[in-house]
Order: sequence, then C-alpha cells, then structure tokens
Amino acid sequence: MADEIATIISSLGLSNEAFLAIVLLAFVVIGAIIVIVATRPILDVYPYLHPNARVRARKGRLFDDKQISELVEANNVEEITNYLRGSPDYAEYLDNYTLEKALDIQLGETYDLVSRMAPKEIQSSFKVMAKKSDIANIKSLLTAKEAGLSQEATEELLVPTGSLYEDLQRLTDVDTVTDVVAGLDGTEYAPILEEVLPEYEKTGMVLPLESALDKYYLDKLLASSETPSDENKQILYSYVGNQVDVANIKLILRAKVDGLDYDAISPYMIDSGYQLREWKLKDLMEAEDVTGVISSLEGTKYSDVLTDVLPEYNETGSVALFEQALDKFLVDSAKSYSMKKPLGIGPIIGFLSQKEVEVKNLKVIARAKREEDFPISKIREMLV
Amino acid sequence: MVEIALGTALAAIGAGVAIGFAGLGSGLGQGMAAAGSVGAVAEDNDMFARGIIFSALPETQAIYGFLIAILLLVFSGLLGGGEGLSTTAGIVAIGVGASIGFAGLGSGMGQGMAAASSVGAIVEDTDMFARGIIFSALPETQAIYGFLIAILLMVFGGILG
Repeated sequence: MADEIATIISSLGLSNEAFLAIVLLAFVVIGAIIVIVATRPILDVYPYLHPNARVRARKGRLFDDKQISELVEANNVEEITNYLRGSPDYAEYLDNYTLEKALDIQLGETYDLVSRMAPKEIQSSFKVMAKKSDIANIKSLLTAKEAGLSQEATEELLVPTGSLYEDLQRLTDVDTVTDVVAGLDGTEYAPILEEVLPEYEKTGMVLPLESALDKYYLDKLLASSETPSDENKQILYSYVGNQVDVANIKLILRAKVDGLDYDAISPYMIDSGYQLREWKLKDLMEAEDVTGVISSLEGTKYSDVLTDVLPEYNETGSVALFEQALDKFLVDSAKSYSMKKPLGIGPIIGFLSQKEVEVKNLKVIARAKREEDFPISKIREMLV
Repeated sequence: MVEIALGTALAAIGAGVAIGFAGLGSGLGQGMAAAGSVGAVAEDNDMFARGIIFSALPETQAIYGFLIAILLLVFSGLLGGGEGLSTTAGIVAIGVGASIGFAGLGSGMGQGMAAASSVGAIVEDTDMFARGIIFSALPETQAIYGFLIAILLMVFGGILG
C-alpha cells in the first residue's frame, strides 16, 4: 500500500514534501468550508442567547394564574400592594409611588431594558416600543392642560420613565395645550403635533393630538420591522403588524358605532397595515355599520375573532367586546410566535406580551379594589 | 533539519484535525452556553453554579480531541521514541483525527445550543434543572461515537500497538 502511494506520488512528479503540502492545503480548504457552513447557524443564534436568558428569568418572575387569582380575592388595594412588594420587579417602586404608577414605571423600564439588550437586527422595533412611555406622558400632559389642572396635579399624572420625562416635567407649569406643543420643539413629536394643532384650536379637543401621536407611533413601529430579511424579523413583522391591524380595526369599529363615515375616520388610520392593506382598509371604512365591517374582514384572520362575539355585541351593543376579543387575539398570536424561535426572537416577544398582560390585569384588579364591593366574578371577566 | 517520515507527518495533520475541529465545536458550544449563563446570572445570582455546570458541558469534546491528538503524537513517534509511522498508517491517522474532530465539532455546537436553552429554561423554572441536563447531555453521544471510532482506527490501523 505504502509503495503504491509512493509510486503514485512519484508518478505525479511530486516530492514527499510537495504531497504533504497538497494534503495540508486540501485540509485547510475543507476545514474552511466546514467552519463557514457550521458557524452560520451559530451566528444567527448567538446574539439572542444573552437577552433570551435575561427575559426568561423575568418571565419566570411573572405572576402565574394562581397568584393572579389570589390578588383578585384580595380585600383592598393595600393587600395588593403588600403582595406586590414580594416581587423584586415591583417592590422598588412601591415605596415611592402609587400602585398604578409603580406598574406603569415597571412596564416602561421593561420596554427600555428590552430595547437596550435586544440584538441589533431587531433593536429598532423595540426602541420604538420604548417610546410608549414618552407618548403616554405627552398625552397626560395634553389632557391635564386641556382640563386646566395645576402644576402639582399635572405632575402627578406623569409617569417617571421614558427618555423625555425630565423635559416633560418642566412643561407641567405651562398654561395651555398650545404651550405644551411649543415646549416640545426639538423633539420628534413637535412636527406631528404642530400639524394637527389648528384642528385642536378649532375644536378645543385634544383627541386629534392624541390620535396623531398614536398614528405616529404605529407608523414608526411598522416601518421599523418592514424588511423581514430572516425568520426572526419575519416573526417580529407579524407581531408588530398584528398590533397595527388591531389598532386600525378597533378605530374603525368605534367609529362605526359612533356613525362616522370614511372622511371622518381616514385621517386617523395607519395607511397600510400588515394583513389589512390600503384597499381593504378603505372597504372597512366605507362599511355601513359594525356588521358590515366584520363581513368585509372575511378571509382575514381577524374575521373569526370578531364573528365569535358578534351575537353578544348584538345583545349588549358594547364595542368593548370586540376590543377584548382583539386583545386576546394579540396575546394568543404573541404566544404562538414566542414558540416559533426558542433560540431567536421568540422568548423576547413572549415575555413582552405577557408582561403587558400582567400589568394590564394588575391595573384592572387595582381599579376594581378601589371600588366599593366590586364583585370578584366581574373582575375575573375583565382580566385578559 | 529534523527528518520526519511521511506517515508521521500525516499523523501530525490528523492530530491537528482532531484537536482543531473538536476544539472549535467545543469553543462555539461553550461560548453559547456561557452567553446564556451570563444572561441568567445577570438576573439571578443563584444561577451562577448551574450556569457553570451547563457552560462546562461542551468542554468534553475538546478533551476527547486533545486525548486523541496526544495519542497520535506519541504513537506516531513525533514526540520521539519511535521509528515513525508508515504512509498507510499516516493516512489512517488523518481518518482518526477527522473522526473525533468532526464529531466533536457537531456535538459541541449542538450541546452548546441545548445548554444555552436549558439555562434559559432553568432561570424561568428551577425544576427544569434535571431535564435540562438530560437534554444537554444528548448531543454528547456523537462525540463519543467519534472518539470510539478514533480509538478503533488507531488500534486496528496499526498506530496503537
């Protein structure tokens, strides 16, 4: 065998050293190919490992059904507050703030944390989500000034979180809504609000200003995830897209209950949603009533969600039923996305969605416990 | 210049492949497990010990590769004390290195992913520890197969004994 190999080597006119060099080179080439092929999936997974472990740790600290049930059965808000002091996530805020404010701060901090640790490729969407705190604070400021609240009362409404909190705090002593908009000069929200300010000045209602902020947020959120180049971004796009579509549907349903037509609704719509593109939204806005909107949604994934609660709506006339069903749809779809990429974006979406649900539920419970003799069964119905 | 027989030189390539690829898989796997563990420890200090255990799991592939590489170097005569290997045995030695090298690469990467995922599961629910260890240990088998075949090749390929 050795002789045969030696013969082959010499017949090729190669010395032993040259043969060795060729073998070495072949190994280097094969090795390089293997390294490139083998490490590609690792490169996709690697950026998510650290943030995923962190969000899963926080997910583990979320209240389970049994704990939520215990909270529902609490006798008063103080009991709930004491219960939440046992959670490291809420405890640090409860000494200085009211229960609802502590919940809002914690949620704001959660958005901020996720936006900081999310991998670069998906970070922009979470950075947009972190703007929710600023937008909520601006809305509170506008509402407070519309109602003519004092500086102290206005300050009480602000949640101390978000990148603009200190700037907004300085605006609590201004007198009018117009002054608030002027005070926001230099921020990304100024041009958005200035555009609809004439409408406010005409009607004296801050609704157009609030809607403009919502529209800006959702537009930006959708745009941040609009180029789904890989599976993680595709899941993110679906997750974000569902939120945009649901916001559009909620707006249309509310408008139809109030008897508004296309011209009245269209300025507040996100022009092109995820599943509901421009032409479909036009159909929905032009529908006669709520039933017409639901019929037009046939063929989309939102149809079954709304059709299921249509009989109950016909009995009660409460549009909140649709909103609850759509919120549940968002939670369920986020849960299914969270299972699609366990080593990718899945755990981040799962955690964020469940955190939002937890805070929403805790607020519902807290609000109910502030009421005299609010039935426990009613609270359970109101939970997401 | 030291004269090295062709077979011995080929065995040296085998040794390099053995530790090179097994080490690469082990390093990638350990990096993934450690990245997950650091994230877990950042949220929960009690995860340190468990994080270390999961991060250490993908170390074994490098150990197998290292052992095979040492055996090749010793029995090929590269470390002295022998006549050197025949060309045929040298080619067998490349097979030995490829066996544990590539098996270790796949096994290490797989184990790293499983370990990182297990750390995430445990930090969410501590009861997952035992199950996490079992799932993370599964990709070890490929490295064991590679190691066994490498030993058999050395024994029956005229390198050992």
